[in-house]
Parts: sequence; structure tokens; C-alpha cells
Amino acid sequence: MAADQGDPPLIYLNNAATTWPKPREVLDEVARCLHTPFFEHGRSTAGTATDYPAAAREALTGLFHAEDPDRFIFTANATDALNLLIHGFVKNQKRPFHALTTELEHNSVLRPLHTLEGEKKLTLSILPMEDGRVTLQEIKKSIQPDTRLVVMTHGSNVLGSLQNLRPVAEYCAANDIFLIADGAQTAGQIPINLSEIPAGAFVFTGHKALFGLPGTGGFYLTDPELIAQIHQGGTGTDSRTLVHPQDMPQKFEAGTPNYPGIASLLAGIRYIEHEGQDAITSKCRGLVALFIRELRKEPGITLYTPAPDLPVVSFNIEKLDNDEAGYILAKGYNIVTRTGLHCAPLVHDRIDGGKGCIRVSFSHLNTPEECLTAADAVREVAESADR
Amino acid sequence: MKEFVLDEPLTAGFLEFLGSFGTVKQYPHLKRPYFSFEQDHFISVKGFIGDTSVEVRYKMEFSDLTSDYFHLLLYYSRNGEAGMRKMREIEGSIREKMKIRHPAGERVV
Repeated sequence: MAADQGDPPLIYLNNAATTWPKPREVLDEVARCLHTPFFEHGRSTAGTATDYPAAAREALTGLFHAEDPDRFIFTANATDALNLLIHGFVKNQKRPFHALTTELEHNSVLRPLHTLEGEKKLTLSILPMEDGRVTLQEIKKSIQPDTRLVVMTHGSNVLGSLQNLRPVAEYCAANDIFLIADGAQTAGQIPINLSEIPAGAFVFTGHKALFGLPGTGGFYLTDPELIAQIHQGGTGTDSRTLVHPQDMPQKFEAGTPNYPGIASLLAGIRYIEHEGQDAITSKCRGLVALFIRELRKEPGITLYTPAPDLPVVSFNIEKLDNDEAGYILAKGYNIVTRTGLHCAPLVHDRIDGGKGCIRVSFSHLNTPEECLTAADAVREVAESADR
Repeated sequence: MKEFVLDEPLTAGFLEFLGSFGTVKQYPHLKRPYFSFEQDHFISVKGFIGDTSVEVRYKMEFSDLTSDYFHLLLYYSRNGEAGMRKMREIEGSIREKMKIRHPAGERVV
């Protein structure tokens, strides 16, 4: 977006897509990483530099209260992680099976499952949500004798609603069903304790609330035996054999990793730990509450998220397409939002007839002043459009 | 999608001209008076009256036929009735090409 002199200051409210700005510590760590020779055990002798992948795995283990750092696998993003897990799980199955997911899901879940359904490798049930949630009771109703896989979001990227993962994970673990939890919107945003959530796999992305660069993400895998390898290649270990190693994390990581990206992820986690996960969650919830309180004053605004758990507010302005409202906010007020379907078409079918909406999403680095300025702008647009 | 920076600000007269070829929506009470233009199968335009920048989106299917369409609209809008007639001819010619590409194609008429 071209900024003219005299434009109001940029207010970035598209953090559920990618957080911006990044904390200063993240930018400094990336610069440090790029200014020193890359080092990773087995891939370089530059032993004085930081082994960013190893350090980031340790940091993730602490942040998510996980058991084993080597079960954290780095990928390009959450979509990449979900594809590796879903296709890897299917590859390990001897015959077609039944899978469950929800209408809250992002296309990173829906499209791989739909593709595999088309290839007759699985049958798929998509569970409806009520008030932004899919309960264990709903899941139990749809379980079939051959249900082997449940893939569900931890937090909706449209409604900001959290799913109660723990009972679902416990049920799945007790019934030999592999649960993939998509934590793209929750990792770094709320406290996550994987020692209390026995999910088969937990997926995260680096470029959202973990404050890393785009091109980072991954998953934590409880039992590596359940997922077949999709990629093979160089690991820096066991190079004599042509068989790709089965040790973790090498089993799922082939090729040179994204060192600057992983450095940013490490710094993002350190930032979260320094600020405090609870404090981050609390501040963002305060911003959302403030924004919603202001929007409620304008009757021409339809809110789809009356009380979101995550800092995501979705709404439409009467008499104005969401795409046009986004353009007006961007060009007329220098406020960045996200409009359309947010890669989650099924939830939009439910809430707005599939037309899409405007989504505002906050990060820890937004201020109450930005929040109020943005709310004033939205209300002004809504009021003017109604005249 | 392309964003164009124009030599002169967009005027209400240009929007009136656009209205002969598609649907113009105007929101004059906004802090900056917003408009949009939609011509099915051709282009859509968003902008503010009085601004020199405008966002033009081309329908992917026919973008090779309509890549100059917005510029032609701008150019012929300055030529009164003669410009309108000429633009109608251009529009008709493009529609014929669209029909050839889609012989079943009442959808583009």
C-alpha cells in the first residue's frame, strides 16, 4: 500500500493472517542469524554459531509443555504441516477409513481431506458447529466403526472461538483415533499445555502469534510410527544409507531448514516468554472487548463474534460489500483488515451465506488507541454507507 | 488486479459515463466519496471520486480481451456522444470475441 504524506498512521489489523510488526528482538535475531555462518549439528562445522533448529525445538518444548524436543518437526507453515500429517497418516492405512472434521476448518484441512476423499482413500464427515464450537458429544454421534482420524481446529480463524480439545483428545486416544489439532490460531496466543492434551499431533505456524517470519511452522507428534514419511532427502546424518532415517526429527525433515525463519521463531518464543503468555492473552482479549463494545454502538454492523476467545472479530457493514468496506478502510483510513472467506468457506456458508465478511484481528503489539481509531473508522463507514 | 495512478483525478462525469456500461455504486457521504463499477465479464473498478489512483480488476477468463478496457473508457469519456458511440463499438467487438470463445455463450451477452 502506497502511503502518501498526510495519510493517517498505518494500523495493521490482519494479525490472524500474519502478525506485523514483529518484535524488535525477532528482527535482531534474524539479522544475527544472517550475519553468522549457519550451524546445525551434522550440517556444518561452524560450531560457534547457534544451532537454531535445536534451540527452537527446546523453546517450543518449554512453551507448549511438551515431552520431547525431537518430536517437534519444522515445516514451511501450518498448511505444509497438515498436509504432511494427513497424507502421511493415510499412507500408513491399509484400507480406506472414515475421517471426521468440522465446518470451522481452514482449507489447509478441508482441501487435503477432500482430495483424499476424491481418491477414495477415506470417507469424510464434516461436523456442523453451534455457536462457533463442535463438542465431543457431536463428534461421538458421528463416530463410525472405521473412524480412524479426526482433524479439527483449536481455534477458528473466522469466529475466534476456542474448541475444548482436551476431552476430544482423551476420547480419541482411548478409541484408537488419531487426532490432528490445528493450532495455527492458538499457538502463541493462549497458554497451551500439551502434557494435558493427548492429541496425536498438534500443528502450529510461526508467522502468526509466535511472531516468526512467514515460511515457518511445524507440528508436535506424539507417536512418529503412525505417520508415514512423505519427503526423503538429506538430513546430515546416516548419509551412507539410501534409506531415509527413521529417527526423530530427521524422519520428517529432509533438506536444509529455514535457518533465519527458525531463528525468528526462537526469538518470537523468547519474546512471548518475556512478556508472559497470560499477559499476552489478557491484553489481546481486552483489545477485542474494546473493539466489540465500540462496534455495538452502530446498528448498521452485523457482528459474527459477539464474545470471541481469540483476538478475532468478524463482521459486515450493511449496504456495503465486505470487499468494498476493506478497500475503503485501507485506502481511506490506512487500516489493514482481511475481507472475503478467510480460506474457511464452510463457516462462511453458515454465518453470512457464503458472501464473506470483514475480519479484524489484533496482536500483542496493537494498542488500545489503534483499536479505538479503527472502531471509529468502521462505525463512520457504516454510518455513511447507511445514508 | 492492477492499481493505476492517473494524470487527473476521477470525476463525477466519468462515473456517469461508466454507468452506461455497467453498475456504478456510489457512497457520497463517506469521508472520501467512494465508488465502485462492475461490468459483468469485463472489469470491476474501485476508487474515490477526486482521487488519482484507482483499482481495476479483470475477469481472468477474458483478461486478454479487456486489458486495455479501462484506459479506453477513460479516453472516450472525454469525447462526449462520439466517445460513447465509439466505446459501444469497442464493447460490442469484445463481446463478439467472447462469444466466439464460448459458442454456447449467451452468458456473456
